[in-house]
Amino acid sequence: MTQVSSTRPIVSVRDLGMVFPVPGGQTVALQDANLEIMPGEFISLIGPSGCGKTTLLRLMADLVRPTSGSLSVNGETPDAARQKRAYGYVFQAPALMDWRNVLSNVKLPLEVMNLPREGRDARAREMLKLVGLEKFERSYPWQLSGGMQQRVSIARALAFDPPLLFMDEPFGALDEITRENLNLELLRLWRETGKTVVFVTHSISEAVFLSTRVVVMTARPGKIEGVVNIDLPHPRGEDSREDPRFFQYATEIRELLKKGHA
Amino acid sequence: MTTAAPDSPLAAAPASRSRRASNAGPMLAVAALALLLYWPVMLLANRGVAQRALDSGADLGCKTALACATQLRNPVIPAPGQFLEGFRALTIPPTAPTSAPYNMLVTGGETLLGLSLASLLGLILATLLVRSRSFERATLPWLIASQTVPIVAIAPMLAVLLGQYGVQGFLPKAIIAAYIAFFPVAIGMAQGLRSPDPLQLDLMRTYRASPGQVFGLLRLPASLPYLFTSLKVAATAALVGSIVAEISTISFSGLGKMLAENSRASDTVALWVIMVYSAVLGIALVALIGWLEKGVTRWRPAR
Repeated sequence: MTQVSSTRPIVSVRDLGMVFPVPGGQTVALQDANLEIMPGEFISLIGPSGCGKTTLLRLMADLVRPTSGSLSVNGETPDAARQKRAYGYVFQAPALMDWRNVLSNVKLPLEVMNLPREGRDARAREMLKLVGLEKFERSYPWQLSGGMQQRVSIARALAFDPPLLFMDEPFGALDEITRENLNLELLRLWRETGKTVVFVTHSISEAVFLSTRVVVMTARPGKIEGVVNIDLPHPRGEDSREDPRFFQYATEIRELLKKGHA
Repeated sequence: MTTAAPDSPLAAAPASRSRRASNAGPMLAVAALALLLYWPVMLLANRGVAQRALDSGADLGCKTALACATQLRNPVIPAPGQFLEGFRALTIPPTAPTSAPYNMLVTGGETLLGLSLASLLGLILATLLVRSRSFERATLPWLIASQTVPIVAIAPMLAVLLGQYGVQGFLPKAIIAAYIAFFPVAIGMAQGLRSPDPLQLDLMRTYRASPGQVFGLLRLPASLPYLFTSLKVAATAALVGSIVAEISTISFSGLGKMLAENSRASDTVALWVIMVYSAVLGIALVALIGWLEKGVTRWRPAR
């Protein structure tokens, strides 16, 4: 599954830069970023706050526009990719609609995209089964725990079967036990669906555990400090965390983060 | 996911329901206290008036001020017997054009019609306010100014103006009620339409949702709790509006018309009875909106 099946990158970032105006000057959120992501990869963007990892993800999703450089998503401009619904986006918070039950929340993108009415329920149920929430389809968001809400939002992002999944610190607000459970589930989802995942995190162990490659970023100005290939066998489980190479990769990432800090 | 949910979502519902039921106890305690105090407070309030009447040599058919306190023709607070008699006189038969229930329905109808007009206008204004900053800058000060003019000053003029266009009777009162009620609806609704958080708006953007879809699937449903809160405020405002409109214009029915007549006649017992009917109408309107709210915003936890 980690074998790259095609030589054409699904996301390609070239000399990308993003500058925000601030009172009395400007903040360089991202400078000269270069990155190529191959289909089927699991890429993590890691770094301290202010390093531009969320900005880079939002640029890929066409939620903000770059001030310099170029990028292509699924072979097109980010705008065209968004127009063609090439990616699903999972936010830091679940961002569920309080007035919709779980099933109806997962159906939301299908409704917005005007997909055939008959298939919607079946598709949404399939996604809920994938995240293990099929028994909760009639519950409302306030009745679910934070981890369950985030699983609903993952099901929602997968509902319209986009080739790309962008995740912005989706488990950042959860406790460690829930987070490790969801990490396992996410890896299973990734293997089963064959999606390309771009995952923003500030946890080194989460990045090593999940990724095929970890992109290490540093702040002021936000830039890519280095990329670490994670050559741990799949499927990964709890014992992967005990692998000596796991610690080796974690150390390597930590060194890169320190380099940017100096 | 294969892991069982650690916290059952169903556990929350019964707990909140029992919390709701326990509100009735304290409320009934206050009602019992008010009933208990009614008699002594009534005697205290009426004694002075009775004493002055006795001093002036009037024959009330009673000897002491305390004994006369329950038999005044225009008491400050009516004695229970007088109250019941007043109720009977103003309530039976309820279909008579002079009865309080009949007039309560008239005022209630004006208020509901006014509230509907206000909701429609408020919804349109809120949508425009949220849609365009320049519209907000241009109109909001005027909307606020419109509410600073006392309704008593506007009502007669509006009634005369509308009369010149052949609008008479029921409708001018509803329009005057709508004039004060649209403001809380517009402001509350605008706040509600702005309530979705930025992530939800970003989410709709990733779906390439049209502005109409963002409005219909996100902003409008998110605004409903705000709408009902402001409707409760608007309902009492509209009731004040229609009663004031009945008092300050020429009217032939309604609680306001009854209040005006009986205050001219200094019939305090009737005024007390009409006041109770007005309170009942106000409570009924707010309860109606609460009931609607429960039906429409069914997703919310029981409170």
